[in-house]
Amino acid sequence: MISTSPDVLIVGAGAAGLAAAIALADAGVADIVVIDRDDAPGGLPRFCHHPGFGWEYAHYPRTGPGFARYMLNAADRPNIRILCKTTMISINAGPSVQIVGPETSYTELLPKAVILATGIRESNRGNLCVPGIRPERGIFTTGMLQQLVARRDGQLDQFRNLTVIGTEHVAFSALLTARHGGATVRHMIGCEHRIFSFPIMRLLAGVLAARIHLDTELLEIDGSSERVEALVVRQGGTTRRIACDGIVFSAGWTPETAAFVGSAVEVDPATGGIAIDQAMRSSLPGVFAAGNVLRPVESSGWAACEGRRAGQLAAKYLAGELSGVRGALHLRPGKGLKYVVPQYWDGPFVSPAGVEPLRPSARVAGDTKGALTLLSDSGREKLGKFQRLLQTRRINFSLAKQTLNSDAVIDVS
Amino acid sequence: MQFDIAIIGAGVVGTAIARDLSRFDLRVILLEARADFGDESSKGNSALMTAGFDTPRGTLERQLVTRGFIRYQTEAPAMGLPIRRVGALTLAWSDEQRAIVEHEVAGARADGFSSVTLLDGADVLRRWPHFSPGIQCAMWAPEECIADPFSTPYAYVLDAVANGVVYRPSFAVKRADRLTNGWRLEEAKGQAVTSRLVVNSGGLRADKVEGLAGYSDFVVRPRRGQYLVLDKAARSLHDVIALPTPTPTTRGILIAPTIFGNVIVGPTAEEVSDPDDRRTTPEGLAKLREAMHRMAPALEQFPVNTVFSGMRPATDRSEYQIIPRLSERWVTVAGIRSTGFSGALGIAEHVASLLVPLFVDARRKTTTNAIVVPDLAETSQRPWQDNARIEADPRYGEIICHCERVTRGEIENAMASRIPPRTLKALKRRTRAMFGRCQGFYCGARIDAIFNSGRNSEHT
Ligand SMILES: Cc1cc2nc3c(=O)[nH]c(=O)nc-3n(C[C@H](O)[C@H](O)[C@H](O)COP(=O)(O)OP(=O)(O)OC[C@H]3O[C@@H](n4cnc5c(N)ncnc54)[C@H](O)[C@@H]3O)c2cc1C
Ligand SMILES: Cc1cc2nc3c(=O)[nH]c(=O)nc-3n(C[C@H](O)[C@H](O)[C@H](O)COP(=O)(O)OP(=O)(O)OC[C@H]3O[C@@H](n4cnc5c(N)ncnc54)[C@H](O)[C@@H]3O)c2cc1C
Repeated sequence: MISTSPDVLIVGAGAAGLAAAIALADAGVADIVVIDRDDAPGGLPRFCHHPGFGWEYAHYPRTGPGFARYMLNAADRPNIRILCKTTMISINAGPSVQIVGPETSYTELLPKAVILATGIRESNRGNLCVPGIRPERGIFTTGMLQQLVARRDGQLDQFRNLTVIGTEHVAFSALLTARHGGATVRHMIGCEHRIFSFPIMRLLAGVLAARIHLDTELLEIDGSSERVEALVVRQGGTTRRIACDGIVFSAGWTPETAAFVGSAVEVDPATGGIAIDQAMRSSLPGVFAAGNVLRPVESSGWAACEGRRAGQLAAKYLAGELSGVRGALHLRPGKGLKYVVPQYWDGPFVSPAGVEPLRPSARVAGDTKGALTLLSDSGREKLGKFQRLLQTRRINFSLAKQTLNSDAVIDVS
Repeated sequence: MQFDIAIIGAGVVGTAIARDLSRFDLRVILLEARADFGDESSKGNSALMTAGFDTPRGTLERQLVTRGFIRYQTEAPAMGLPIRRVGALTLAWSDEQRAIVEHEVAGARADGFSSVTLLDGADVLRRWPHFSPGIQCAMWAPEECIADPFSTPYAYVLDAVANGVVYRPSFAVKRADRLTNGWRLEEAKGQAVTSRLVVNSGGLRADKVEGLAGYSDFVVRPRRGQYLVLDKAARSLHDVIALPTPTPTTRGILIAPTIFGNVIVGPTAEEVSDPDDRRTTPEGLAKLREAMHRMAPALEQFPVNTVFSGMRPATDRSEYQIIPRLSERWVTVAGIRSTGFSGALGIAEHVASLLVPLFVDARRKTTTNAIVVPDLAETSQRPWQDNARIEADPRYGEIICHCERVTRGEIENAMASRIPPRTLKALKRRTRAMFGRCQGFYCGARIDAIFNSGRNSEHT
């Protein structure tokens, strides 16, 4: 059995949660419990059988499962206990966390600190309200497709003509996954005028014989109650059908905050994720957060770095060197930005030595040219140089030289 | 085997009839075209269990819905089915609507629905502050309920089978031949059933089934209804059935909680020519959003989990098409367009009262076998909350569908049922798995695996 009052409870054994556990163990924290509701630890990378995982964290190229294994090896420590099939149901001040699992039943845990690292999911047909039919089979998200392939070792070969919706990195992940599972993607559809992943991905699509349709809007799914038969799309004013036998919705990211709805953990409507300050503290004292539960998607390596920082800061908190209360100054996105992370700022806080550096970031609402600026009571300040800002690219900035004494707006000008 | 009664169609109506007939010494067979029961009209509705005050006065429909509602209140809980009495509001914003609502209240009270009252705008606002401002008054029907649309026909068919009815899914009647002593019903591959009497409860296809026997008293006019399903958080704001003031042509788009803890907005009403055209349309979805915006704009902040449509088995007549051709041994129970979920037990009792006397030696059985189905209501105790149950069987502590919190124990139980789900969608309807906001992103592959292994073990 696990103790009901561990030093730290980490929720989510993905990239961020495991990195946090490793950092806590490195700092000498004695009793670290990680819970994960899935049947095995490792998070989403576990199902992504292609390269491109963990670079920012471990500076070594790995596949998804390779990175998950690497993290699990590193977390194989006597002071880290990982408990799977165990779900966080809710969280309250204390912190007090309600969990349920086959081993624990429904139990309340009273850890000294909590790190929330519950990750992110994609939007689906229903969330996006796509008109048309909804057949028994043939409507997927990339994540679901990846699990189907990883858990069954293939068996998607009945799908000879899939269409992927979206052109972000993950859309190309879907392309590879389908191929891995014996299925074929013939079309990719993006509503913008360019692909949202690296331009070179066009080549990959070309090699795999998938046609990319840009400036194309999905109008309707057609077929029977059993299967998908075609998509109706609009491209430049004309409506046409694309015959296909399945559809994969990619991206449309939604941080997995379901267990915090109605709790005192603040969720930022701009990111859909947990609102934190630069010390990774959420609105509940003693509760930290890291990884893709913070905002629409970053890479697994980035999520792991955030997890490491959260772990290191939580260790400082346990040692009495850091307050558990989130900073009070609000950093708001201006009109030109979709969001800013962190959303809160602790004026006097200085990141302790040996702690993973903070990487504040923002995203623009649409592709533009400009410079990031900070508007506070002490006036307007430039945070970076004038440049092209793409909505698909994270904009990193630093507030290391600023001393903030008031709420501030970060924007593009 | 020679049957006394063959029921064609295992919707909520056909299953309820089978259950009532199972109480008598009769050989009854329930034939269903699809792989699972309840897979047509009965799967996509608002699941309001209505007392019947807004059914047309003086009709058989009114009588049977009222009776069905009363029976459901006692018989459903005995089978484990949940009921939530949330009440219904019919809201008036304009003077014209006020006049209609006042008239409806007076009418309902005169008809004996004595709990129906008129609330003034301030009362409504005090209790339900999230509606659009300017409400003049509302009809309050406190007894209106919501219930489980999927487990209800499941309970009926399980109960019928436990009491001797033979249930044959994947048996689509394609031919009906008159015999001297009843009917011979044949499906596409040539398998046949003979029966002394036939009940046609074929829902959306009841007119086709009538045609097989040479009858053509009505034509089915499928009427589609689209819905938005809002995320669970919406119920904290909206936990009442809210209807707009009816117009002469439609009852309008309602906003109501579901027994599974979501909020639905719908249905639209569109005549379509193909009973299988269960698509959602941009125009339909826009109407739903517009209705939500007009009635309760505060609900617009909540995410939509999914969109779907249902299909009403309406006909070219407004009345229920219950046609007892007793001498020809063919009884039609069709055109149960928009109240069949509430009326099913009333309809079944009525039909049984017509049929049973024809079989002179059919006695009422002295004992019946009881069945219980899982209670899937969000407000009931769920298995994951039940430590005694988890300690006895840890599978109830392993949540597989995270959005709806459905455990491995529940999914495996559904697969092991006497009437197991034959499609993934049927498994969803039996358990709620994959009904939630992620629509299978997290659990789809695991549910699929349990479904496949359950199906395999059924075949071996
Ligand atoms: C389809 C897809 C493809 C991707 N491809 C790439 C790629 O090619 N390269 C790359 O670098 N990144 C990729 N990513 C992004 C990245 O892999 C993940 O988002 C990343 O793993 C983030 O780490 P995390 O720890 O924040 O979340 P995750 O790795 O998702 O871990 C979160 C964990 O929390 C658990 N959890 C959630 N809620 C609860 C709860 N209430 N109780 C208990 N446990 C809970 C989950 O089971 C999960 O294991 C992809 C993501 C997806 C969805
Ligand atoms: C949008 C909408 C909202 C509604 N809201 C409510 C509500 O809130 N409250 C309420 O009380 N009612 C409501 N209803 C009405 C209710 O859903 C219907 O009245 C009810 O489902 C009708 O059931 P049925 O058994 O007659 O038809 P069905 O459920 O369609 O059953 C007929 C069955 O017959 C089978 N069948 C057909 N042909 C053959 C054949 N040849 N051989 C074998 N089998 C055959 C079909 O496969 C089907 O399973 C609503 C309906 C809709 C569509």
